[in-house]
Amino acid sequence: MNIFKLLATLAEVDPEAYQRQSARRGMLSRLGQVGRKVAATAVPLGLGALPQQAHAGTQTILDTFTLALTLEQLEQEFYATALERGRQGTLVFPAGTQAVIQQIQGHEQSHVTFFQRQLQRSGAAVPAKPNFDFTGSKNGTKPALFPDVFTSFATFLKVAQLLEDTGVRAYKGQVEVLVADNDVLEAVLQIHAVEARHAAHIRGMRRALGATVRDWVSSEDDIITTAGSTDAVYGGEDATRQMLPGTPVKFFPADTTPVAPGPKPLVRLGEAFDEPITATVAANLAGLFIY
Amino acid sequence: MQRRSFFRVAGATVAASTLVLAGCGTDDPTPTTPAAGANVLTLAAGEVGLLNYAYILEQLEAAFYQKVVDAPPADLRAGEKEALTELRDHEVIHREFLKFALADKAIGTIEFNFSSVTFTTREGVFTAAKKLEDLGVAAYAGVGKLLSGSYLALLAKIASVEARHAAYVRDALQPNSFGTPDAGIIATTGDYAGLNVALTPAQAMAAAAPFLNFTVDVSQLPTT
Repeated sequence: MNIFKLLATLAEVDPEAYQRQSARRGMLSRLGQVGRKVAATAVPLGLGALPQQAHAGTQTILDTFTLALTLEQLEQEFYATALERGRQGTLVFPAGTQAVIQQIQGHEQSHVTFFQRQLQRSGAAVPAKPNFDFTGSKNGTKPALFPDVFTSFATFLKVAQLLEDTGVRAYKGQVEVLVADNDVLEAVLQIHAVEARHAAHIRGMRRALGATVRDWVSSEDDIITTAGSTDAVYGGEDATRQMLPGTPVKFFPADTTPVAPGPKPLVRLGEAFDEPITATVAANLAGLFIY
Repeated sequence: MQRRSFFRVAGATVAASTLVLAGCGTDDPTPTTPAAGANVLTLAAGEVGLLNYAYILEQLEAAFYQKVVDAPPADLRAGEKEALTELRDHEVIHREFLKFALADKAIGTIEFNFSSVTFTTREGVFTAAKKLEDLGVAAYAGVGKLLSGSYLALLAKIASVEARHAAYVRDALQPNSFGTPDAGIIATTGDYAGLNVALTPAQAMAAAAPFLNFTVDVSQLPTT
């Protein structure tokens, strides 16, 4: 009766057995065909915002996958670089932390592979990996946002938190684009959950080093963003009410709804819901590290 | 008592001064689900059934953490009682959100069976929390595609918070176990390596069965 044990066994024996492989094989097939033209113009994320694509109704699943691939490549290379600097001795990992970063890097690599494979199978162009500069100096052409990202473990974790929380919000912003395709939507929600696990763990690592930060995004966390650049990572994240679908428009909580127990109901309301960001905001944030 | 108190929030852009204390607890008029004597809860078709499905899971998590907060284990470490209280708060908010969204279509309050849980040790609490949070994460990952769209974005906002909870309680139970080593949580090999498990409502209710005193019939729910 232990479903997790059952799933674990299935996953060990045949990882695809519980994923309805046949339905997913051609995940992007029909969309790849209609979207091929779009792919050619959707690549240069590093040049700034994605033009037009963020407007509701014009964004395709292919656009979403292209954005997702870029975000995953960004995260993968970020962790891989940190691990490499650790091997070289220029970034010192506290005891026990290297293995877990390795594990997160492995997940990000899997996500990169996943999106590349889906794009290939759909016949769409697979965008080349952009050039990344994790100091945020755009290869030395502007002042660095995080000059010590790979020499200070605390700064490394700070950037990791910003990237993971951005990833969670970016995926959340894409779910409605994907609503027409069950397989694509489910896969993205599954990756979304893993990114949120990463974000939480990284936050816990920062807390262990003395930062005031929870595993969930809280208005009581230490502020680690800079106005005009990284502040978009948490812009709007502390919303304390949710608009429900349908008419007349209703909001939760309404004035007659019992909500959060405890002395800080609005802080808890903000924490209890993670908010999305648009493709444009996500691309701009990724663009801080792309040249 | 503090834990029996709920704040009512007036309006959306409320200031703290508009918060009014109101009772909510043993006098809750909501009927118990399922009706006395019945041993099957049948979820309705369509979105109502799906939201009630999520409402069951949120009631379960909220009731669990409430019990923990009511009588915390003596061996909790620094900060853990506060974190467990915040987890309780989040789950109560999720529960109340779904109840509000469902309005008169909401199922009643469920009495859960926590006899399998050891509430007196932190290991017992975090072991059960891990089971419940991983279940919630996988259930939300699986329910999204069954929704027609209007509630998809809202449930996705909850889904990632549940994943953060799962990572927290896993790390508390065993450091660095936020997503592993259980291969059943995040696939480790194959085309879907690196993806969190997604459960169908039938799978999730089977996993929740030890906590339920009745069977949940999900046969009316959408399957695509």
